Order: sequence, then C-alpha cells, then structure tokens
Amino acid sequence: MRSFNGQQKQLLVLLTPATLFLSVFFLGPLLIMAVSSFLEPGLYGGVEWSFYPWSYGRVLGWADGFYEEFDIVYLEILLRSAGLALATVAVTLLLCYPVAFWISRMPSRWKSFCIFMIALPFFSSMIIRLYAWILILRDSGFANQILLSLGIIAEPLDLMYSGTAVILGMVYIFVPFMFLPVYSSVENLDPKLIKASQDLGATPFTTFRRVIFPMTLPGVIAGSILVFIPALGNFVVPSMLGGAKVVMIGNLVEQQFLASRNWPFGATLSMIMILFMLLVVSFYLLKVMKKQHAA
Amino acid sequence: MRKLLNHLMSGYGALFFIFLYAPVILVVAYSFNSNPVNVMIWKEFSFDWYINLFGGETNLSDSSAYVESTDQLFAALQVSLTVAAFATIVSTVLGTSVAVAIARYRFRLQGFYRLLLMVPMVMPDIVLGIALLIFFVGVGMNLGVTSIVIGHCTFLTSYVFIVVSARLAGMNPMIESASADLGANEWQTFRRVTLPLILPGVIGGALLSFIISMDDLVITYFISGVDSTTLPVFIMSMIRRGIKPEINAIATMMLMASVLIASAGIYFKSRKA
Repeated sequence: MRSFNGQQKQLLVLLTPATLFLSVFFLGPLLIMAVSSFLEPGLYGGVEWSFYPWSYGRVLGWADGFYEEFDIVYLEILLRSAGLALATVAVTLLLCYPVAFWISRMPSRWKSFCIFMIALPFFSSMIIRLYAWILILRDSGFANQILLSLGIIAEPLDLMYSGTAVILGMVYIFVPFMFLPVYSSVENLDPKLIKASQDLGATPFTTFRRVIFPMTLPGVIAGSILVFIPALGNFVVPSMLGGAKVVMIGNLVEQQFLASRNWPFGATLSMIMILFMLLVVSFYLLKVMKKQHAA
Repeated sequence: MRKLLNHLMSGYGALFFIFLYAPVILVVAYSFNSNPVNVMIWKEFSFDWYINLFGGETNLSDSSAYVESTDQLFAALQVSLTVAAFATIVSTVLGTSVAVAIARYRFRLQGFYRLLLMVPMVMPDIVLGIALLIFFVGVGMNLGVTSIVIGHCTFLTSYVFIVVSARLAGMNPMIESASADLGANEWQTFRRVTLPLILPGVIGGALLSFIISMDDLVITYFISGVDSTTLPVFIMSMIRRGIKPEINAIATMMLMASVLIASAGIYFKSRKA
C-alpha cells in the first residue's frame, strides 16, 4: 500500500507546476482583463485607475452620454458577427452531415484514410489555407480567370470583401471541427434501431426525423459549438477576405488595441465574447450531458 | 431509389474532398509558375521562386523578385522554431503531469482541474491573446520570444493533457499495481512502467503542440514584439502588403512540412503499446 503522505507528496509534485503556471499566466490575465474592462481608458493607451462602467454601455449604443450620440454601430457589428458565425455553422453542418454518413459506410481501411484526409488541413497552416482562397477569389484570381476565359463574364467579378467570402473562408478553416464530432455520433448510431424503425413501418423521412437525427444531435451540437465560438471571435478571416467592408467583433477588438488604443473597450468586447462562450458551453453541458446521463 | 441515394452521397463526398483540397493544390501547382506579373496566369514550369528564396541565382529580373524579405523570412522561421521547441517542452511536461495526476490519484479538485484544462481550448484565441497582452504590459514584461512561449504554453498544455489522458484511459492500471507489488517504488514504477506505456501519447501530444505552436497566428499576433515575428505573423503581413509569387513557394514548403509532421503524429498515436 502507498502511504497517505507519500501519495500527497506525489500529487503535489505533479500538480504544482501546472497549477502555478496556469494561475499566473491564464487565470491571472483573464482576471486582469475583467478588471480593466471596468476602468477608464487612458489618453495614450493603457488605463486610468478609476471605475468606469461606460465601456459596456458603449457596446449597447449609448456611451458616457457627454460627447457621444446614441449609436448602435457596435451592436450592429456584434449581431453581424453572430450572424456570420451562425451561417458558418449552418454551412459546415450541411457539408459534413451527409459526408459523415457516406464515410461511416465505407470499409474500415478507407474510413481511417478519409478521416485522416479531413483532419489533415487542421495540421496545416491556417494562414496558408486562407491565402489559397485569396488567390482564387481576388479580381485577377483563379475564379475570375476561368470565368473570363470561358466567356461567362466580361468583367472580373468582385468576389472578395463580402460577407459570403468571409463565410467561405471560415467554413474552409473550421470544417474539421464540425466533421469529427458529427462523424463520431454517426459512427455510434445503432443500426438495429434504424432497422426497427423501418420494420415498424416508418418512412425513410420519419426514420431520419424521429430516430437518426435525435441520436446524432449530441455530435451536431458539439460540432456547432466548436465552430461557432472561434468563428464568432475570428479576426483573421474578415481582415483577409472581408477587408474594411465586413468588420467583425474580432476586428473591432484588434482596432482597440492596435489603432484606437482604447484598451478597456477592447477588454469589454472580450468579456462579451467570454459571456457568449459561457452561455453556449453551459447550454451544452445542461442539455447534452444531462441527456447522456439519462440514457 | 436506394442506389440513386448512394450515388448521390458518393458524388457529394467527392465534391467535399475537392472543396477541401483543390485550393491548396492550386497554391502548390502555381508555386512552379514562372510568371512574375500575375501569379495565377500560367506561363511555364520553373523552380525560380524556390531558388530565389534560398538566395540562388535565377534569371528573374531584380524588380520581380522579393529578395529583401528572405533574411526576415528565415529570422521569422527561426523565432517560430525556437518558440515551438520551448513551448512544446514546457507544455508537454505540464500537460502530462496533470493527466497522470487525474488518471492515477483520487483527490477533491479533479473536476476543477479538468475544467481548468478545458477552458483554454474553448476560449476564442483573440480573448486569450489580448488578456495576455494586457497582462504582459501590466507587469512590465518585454514582448518577445519569452512572452510568446508563455502565451503558447497556456493553451498547448490543454492539448497535451487531452491526448495523454486518452492514452491513460486506455491503459490497464493493474500493470502499475503489479509493478508496486513486485517491490518497485513509485518513481521506478513511473519511469519503468507508466512512462513507456504512455510514451506514444506523450509524443503525439508533443507533436500536436509543436504543430499548433508553429501555426498559431492570433495569440502570437498580439504578444509578439517588434523584432520577434513568427512565421505565420510574417506571412500574414506579407500577404497584406500584396500577393507575390514567393508566397506560393513558402506556402508549398510549409504545407509539405505539416503533412510530414501530421503523418508522424498519426503513426505515433496509432502505435500499440
């Protein structure tokens, strides 16, 4: 038997380094950010040490009420980001759901090969994958070259710098995040239940709606969360493919730190993103985990 | 009807893979295009952009080449490799030790530690990036290689933790008990039994964190100093300044490197204990 003290000592050795590191460099910075979202912005960046809740009001439209008019521009950006992120979730889901079924019916050698091929882009540089889309979409890019040489269009189309281009870029980057959880829930489907539903006279559509879809829902929700959260806070895709036309909350945060030098407002926007994240994750924990426990 | 559905699914699947791979293959193909004016109009096959990157003699005119950036490019690569190496070592040690602690011991804060190691992975990059920026500026630390390494470790630890935990979960704890029964002390058991068994997981986790560190753009973007640009940040600023054929060549080489490392990772992960 291990002695009680010895075991405690080992635990201490195993846990102390990570605990110290994550407390100082992860929890600490988050706490400081939370605090600084309530501080007054300094004139040249940084913060003034006085309580200043107006950054939150600014997000909703009205600022400190002295020199700024009521303007919902930030709320619009917030809603647009949420909209683009939701659209990204929808498109990745439409792409991945049928493909997951297709791959789950393959012989096992092919299965693992296909999954490797879908996961592989995750391991390659994100900026390079986005760059590929710039080559395709820009005015003198691949898509326009082909359309021009086929005579379909006479003038190059404006494909970049639109919401569609941003959604396309985010879909391209986040596809593996949606595919893997959806696939694992499709793979775990019990074929006997589908057979039973068919034997009981359900049409294919009813079988899908009442049996297959509910059983794959945990994977769909997990994938949606994994896509929605990074898509919502993304600033690389909109700054590469959206230009100045499609500004998302991530770009706004970047501006607060690198251009406007309003750090507390940037911190406030980040706190709002954390709030979104907590909402989404606690929804997942409550709905999905509960169901899995019950099952 | 059923057959038609199967054909439709196969077609859809094929399109899906074309969507995934065509853009990347396009970049690779056009990196061998000698046209210096428009990257996407095919002129003829050449290795010029690669030779040019490595400082070799080409028949490109000076104006079409982007020579001034080559040194900066290699400096950025060096920073990236340094950061990835240190961040991988630190996060592998931290992540593995927490994974072992949670899998092999019972203690009250297990749930807390699981949560603590999950959160950095779900946190949007940009939030972590600016939290770290505020922190480093607040404590007066200079932004540079050290700050990037620290920043990367905060989330890489989680990835190592996940991979090693998965490995530990598939392991028979009786083997360790057997080692203890045979008179090995804790340290001997860990070094001679546990560590060799989880090693594929540890190596897999380390490779994963190396790749993610090399590729991280958002967090690095906020916490890298003026003279400590990493490769992804450098490439982003290069793209922002304008599309140049050299970027295709750099992109191709980076893609090759990540395919190699990912394949090695899969090999280690699937290797039986």
